[in-house]
Amino acid sequence: MDNVIVGRHISGQFNEDLESVINQVMQMGGLVEQQLSNALNSVSENDEGLAKRVLANDYQVNQMEVSIDDSCTRIIAKRQPAAGDLRLILAILKTIADLERIGDEAIKIAKVALESYSGKQQDLLVNLDNLGRRVLEYLQAALDAFTRMDVDTAIKAHSTDDKINREYEALMRQLMTYMMEDPRSIPQIMSVIWSARALERIGDRCQNICEYIIYFVKGKDVRHTTAEDFKNL
Amino acid sequence: MISVTPKTLTGIAPKIDLTNLSPEQVALDIKNLNLYYGDKQALNNITMSIPKGQVTAFIGPSGCGKSTLLRCINRMNDLIDICKVSGEINLHGVNIYDRQVDVAQLRRNVGMVFQRPNPFPKTIYENVIYGLRITGEKNRRVLDEAVENSLRNAALWNEVKDRLFESALGLSGGQQQRLVIARAIAVQPEVLLLDEPTSALDPISTLTIEELINDLKKQFTVVIVTHNMQQAARVSDQTAFMYMGDLIEYSDTNTLFTTPKKKKTEDYITGRYG
Repeated sequence: MDNVIVGRHISGQFNEDLESVINQVMQMGGLVEQQLSNALNSVSENDEGLAKRVLANDYQVNQMEVSIDDSCTRIIAKRQPAAGDLRLILAILKTIADLERIGDEAIKIAKVALESYSGKQQDLLVNLDNLGRRVLEYLQAALDAFTRMDVDTAIKAHSTDDKINREYEALMRQLMTYMMEDPRSIPQIMSVIWSARALERIGDRCQNICEYIIYFVKGKDVRHTTAEDFKNL
Repeated sequence: MISVTPKTLTGIAPKIDLTNLSPEQVALDIKNLNLYYGDKQALNNITMSIPKGQVTAFIGPSGCGKSTLLRCINRMNDLIDICKVSGEINLHGVNIYDRQVDVAQLRRNVGMVFQRPNPFPKTIYENVIYGLRITGEKNRRVLDEAVENSLRNAALWNEVKDRLFESALGLSGGQQQRLVIARAIAVQPEVLLLDEPTSALDPISTLTIEELINDLKKQFTVVIVTHNMQQAARVSDQTAFMYMGDLIEYSDTNTLFTTPKKKKTEDYITGRYG
């Protein structure tokens, strides 16, 4: 059966090259999702060992980015892709750059697990975990849409970022209140702030991935457009 | 709707609406053009406007009618007995298929270069001024100027200026093709038709001709037929995709090669089964 994304090129080798690179992106997506999930678990379960594993596995994410970049470069050089094929390659190159950065953000979160927190501060980590779970779901939705190049799911998921931003702002207000109440806790709370910031950035990157899917399928560049433009897609 | 606002590296290019060009912008206005070879229809109701001072490419698989359409523009198809044409191709508001049109004059206005370089077995100099000689031009100074200007415009002057009176057949394939282009532009046509001008050339000569095409559009309207899609993407401002005698899609080249509207175009330019 033909791959629905790749279609059926006259050149079977071109088909194989594209299918191979798509499979690599899916693997990388799975790995990054695992990294984020592990990072969140390491914080919520205060699991230092798991946090260290997240740190150690980051090189795999980086290696995959380099490898996929290389595959895309070869496809561009040898096949001079046009139209949908060109948009697919561009969408892949941009997506993997965002996935790699999501991997980096996961590390920032895992580092929180390596700090020690008092009982009161543990409450803060629960709130961080809530935001984290929502961001993880967003990443899963974006990757799911990417796997199927499903533009409807991508459009629907795109708006999740606004909700994440609102939760992030609420958490920041809460953290500032804690810092004002107990200045001695500032060093630990700063770590939580960096993690919350990392989660908010992951949300932005998931939104980018949704935009690349829309670009590939519809051929429209929806970056930096208004909500009104988005409705008219 | 072929209204586009292509984004370019240098910003937003001027908006081109190929369906609604002003008369000053149009070089050739093709309306409801049908062409038959005997009973077989080779062009089906083609309507398109080719803008002035730009490069327009026709692409499509073999037998789609792109060369036939190109040859209609200077009535080369008149030479084929079984060929019948209906519809209009307007140049300056005059239908070139009107009875009173002088075909020789038309072909001076609409020059053509073919796939294989076809220099005459004469000197380089005589090749370039061949068209002017036919029109009766005898003034040596005018002819010398025409040779130098044409060869300079065809990016060949520096290579041949010291052997203008040697046989043109001694030039390389790429040089011969540029000589033929010099011969075509020596009579100062308005439109230059290029029928696969680089398909018989090596990649370096091809790039030289492509660079030349980019320069030529400053003075002439260029229409090119090419089998090489990357070439169409590189040299043209507009691209028309044809399939089985139909004009499937006609839009600015940036749009056609990144976001074609029709599935047939997408399948062709990405090398998929239709």
